[in-house]
Amino acid sequence: MTKMNEVASQPGFGTSPHAAAADLGQVPAKMTVRDLNFYYGDFHALKHIAMDVPEKKVTAIIGPSGCGKSTLLRIFNRIYAIYPNLRAEGEIVLDGENILDPKYSLNRLRSKVGMVFQKPVPFPMTIFENVAYGIRHHEKLNRSQMDERVEQALRGAALWDEVKDKLKQSALGLSGGQQQRLCIARGIALKPEVLLLDEPTSALDPIATSRIEQLVEELKKDFTIVIVTHNMQQAARCSDMTAFMYMGELIEFDRTEKIFTKPDKKQTEDYITGRFG
Amino acid sequence: MSTSLYTTRRVKNILAMAFSILATAIGLFFLVWILWETLSQGLAGLKPQLFTKITAYREEGGLANAMVGSLILNVLGILIATPIGVAAGTWLAEYSRRSRLGPTIRFLNDILLSAPSIVLGLFVYTIVVLPSKYLTNGDVTFSGLAGGIALALIALPVIVRTTDEMLRLVPGTLREAALSLGVPQWKLTMQILVRSARSGIVTGVLLALARISGETAPLLFTAFGNNFMTFNPLDKMPSLPQIIYEYTKDPSPDINTLAWAGAFVLTMFVLALSLIARFAFSRSKVSHD
Amino acid sequence: MHATASNAATGADRADESARTAKDSRNDLLFGWALKACALLVLLALVGAAASTLWLGMDAFHTFGWGFLTSAAWDPSNDQYGALVPVMGTIGTALIALVVAVPISFGIALFLTEIAPQWLRGPVASAIELLAGIPSIIYGMWGLFIFAPFVAAHIKPWLMNQFSADPPDGKVSWLVQHVPGLARFFSSEYPFFGAGVLTAGLVLAVMIIPFISSVMREVFQTVPTRLKESAYALGSSTWEVVWDIVVPYTRTAVIGGVFLGLGRALGETMAVAFVLGNTFKFSWSMLETGSSIASTIANQFGEAQGLQRSALMALAFLLFVVTFIVLLIARLMLRRLATKEGR
Repeated sequence: MTKMNEVASQPGFGTSPHAAAADLGQVPAKMTVRDLNFYYGDFHALKHIAMDVPEKKVTAIIGPSGCGKSTLLRIFNRIYAIYPNLRAEGEIVLDGENILDPKYSLNRLRSKVGMVFQKPVPFPMTIFENVAYGIRHHEKLNRSQMDERVEQALRGAALWDEVKDKLKQSALGLSGGQQQRLCIARGIALKPEVLLLDEPTSALDPIATSRIEQLVEELKKDFTIVIVTHNMQQAARCSDMTAFMYMGELIEFDRTEKIFTKPDKKQTEDYITGRFG
Repeated sequence: MSTSLYTTRRVKNILAMAFSILATAIGLFFLVWILWETLSQGLAGLKPQLFTKITAYREEGGLANAMVGSLILNVLGILIATPIGVAAGTWLAEYSRRSRLGPTIRFLNDILLSAPSIVLGLFVYTIVVLPSKYLTNGDVTFSGLAGGIALALIALPVIVRTTDEMLRLVPGTLREAALSLGVPQWKLTMQILVRSARSGIVTGVLLALARISGETAPLLFTAFGNNFMTFNPLDKMPSLPQIIYEYTKDPSPDINTLAWAGAFVLTMFVLALSLIARFAFSRSKVSHD
Repeated sequence: MHATASNAATGADRADESARTAKDSRNDLLFGWALKACALLVLLALVGAAASTLWLGMDAFHTFGWGFLTSAAWDPSNDQYGALVPVMGTIGTALIALVVAVPISFGIALFLTEIAPQWLRGPVASAIELLAGIPSIIYGMWGLFIFAPFVAAHIKPWLMNQFSADPPDGKVSWLVQHVPGLARFFSSEYPFFGAGVLTAGLVLAVMIIPFISSVMREVFQTVPTRLKESAYALGSSTWEVVWDIVVPYTRTAVIGGVFLGLGRALGETMAVAFVLGNTFKFSWSMLETGSSIASTIANQFGEAQGLQRSALMALAFLLFVVTFIVLLIARLMLRRLATKEGR
């Protein structure tokens, strides 16, 4: 497993990763991004990104819209690859293996890295089936094992008590916040190691938002979480590490506390204090 | 000076409005006229034997065999066109992104949508009816199956188009959500996308059914017609539009009355279908967002 | 938890995962091919329709050469076939249909987008679309039994009184005396006979009105509201907004809609089969009977053998090619609007 200081000792990287390492006290890196470049056709969307995502912590990515934060997240599970003309170069090392390597099995990647999207997207099936659907593709379980797994996932997403009596009903009937927690349940049902959250609360009301935030706090006991958000308070409230991106570059990556109180870079400070973006 | 300019402009506007209202009135007038004639003339010929007796009895008979034939032909057409059309529409919406062939086929499908149906009938005559003489003893055999294939060719572009459009309405995030669970694309397509576009696709199939129910021209040289009741798709098969066609040309007024009765039944069926289709569609729109 | 288990993933696990991924991508590929094959059937239908009619029509094309297009002789008893009368009949009826249907469709689209109160728009639009749902055989029947007698009783005598050299009321009009050549478009061998090119054209017009008007309506609705509002704000009248803003903005697509209607009219069989008269004597008059490609095929193909069948196939090929081109133009023009909308 890669340790932060190993990465920091490599040449050609920004200063942020080491600083973070010192402060978080040798938390092992779950995922290491090395010199990542991303292109939409000819457009160079991400430039030389390097960062360490610490294990079982919440890493937030913030920045003005169009800065590439969602793009970065979408490379972590190679979901970008379903669109033509998109290209990623560089390395993302997860547990010692480069996931961008075409030989890295997509099934393996997607069972290790789960993702939750901006808008809740329940499948047009029952609540139970929504959670069971992904599991079925990866594991053969008998009925009682499946029931158990679904319950476990729904409990994990703090949804069980609300839906346990209507598992056979369509998921489309749930409220927006419930649908989003269902999507989280669906994601964690595969028992991934990394959970990617792409602005998971941007379509939700404040109460549903705070429930999701509490949930994120719970989930980090078991998962490494990367959350993209345009809401700086959210990043400050629920993340351990924060990355600030601007125009496709990673400007600063450090402990959340430090980013929000004493950032190294002027651009970060301007963004945090609302002077641009 | 400016007053007269103002007057001219106002008069122009009033004339244009009057013309527009008149045009709408003309359109509605013809609708009412045609429906009224179909209704009044058709009701005059409507009697129970219409549904129980076959055309072999002429004036004394009914249209039962034609209705049964139409039913079989339509079902055949839809059964052939639906899987192919849904598959083709799915390919256009989901798989053709990386290929230049996709837009071309989408474009040609729109042309097929309004291609002359009689030529499509001749095409099926050439590829199905003519070769049948190699299977029989040199006889060219028209058949319900050939008619069904001809109708399928007409239903196909309707189904392709609605499937394509409905799938493209499915939000992209649904695809991403399934793919990020590691589900392969074929499963995603069959189990999630087609399912969430289901009501829209059903609408397309209903519209296609409404369209082929009224088709006459492509059946003339494929299913051909038959004055007896038949359930065998390899037999010549009558259909309501084809019998209406024959009975309209007939010099006997009694036979003409039967044609009107058939026209009434056919029109009601087709209009009811399109109303149902529209109802299904308005529901599907709601469930999409 | 799973995490620790997979950190120590055994080789067997990993091989299993790769095998599953390989199987998935193989299935994906097969699935994609199967779908693509179905999509190619659309292409095949068009190519097949053209190729089969050309193939079976080759005999006629060989026998008559270019004369097939220019000869007015369609004479099964002498095995002589020329396409001129059906071709002219097809074009003539379609043009009459357009001349009548386009302004009316424009008026309807205008009514439905600018003039009618909101509550009226939905019902009227549905009613007009209902017209498109009526099977064409019904138009044919209505044309034969109801409309043709109406034309014979009211429209034809009036037209002949105004424009023909042999008017039923005996008074040759001033127009006919002073406009040379006008009368030949309005002559009629059987003045009391309702069937003819004009009647067929009018029935076709009623048939294509819903198509053209619904395209125009959809197209008019794509004009950005702010564009119209800014014109209204300058004091423009409804008509001025339509003529100066809406029409120029949507011109290409409107023409596309008209071509779409033309394509329909050219290929229509049943609506015209009864009301055209099915005669093969060449005439310039729109009050004379005639025939169209589709109606000729419908009437004769059943009994046709040999060269006649080939000639009918050749006619079908001509019809298919012409409608294909017309529809191609229509779709190209409509597509440009779609890209404009997308921007």
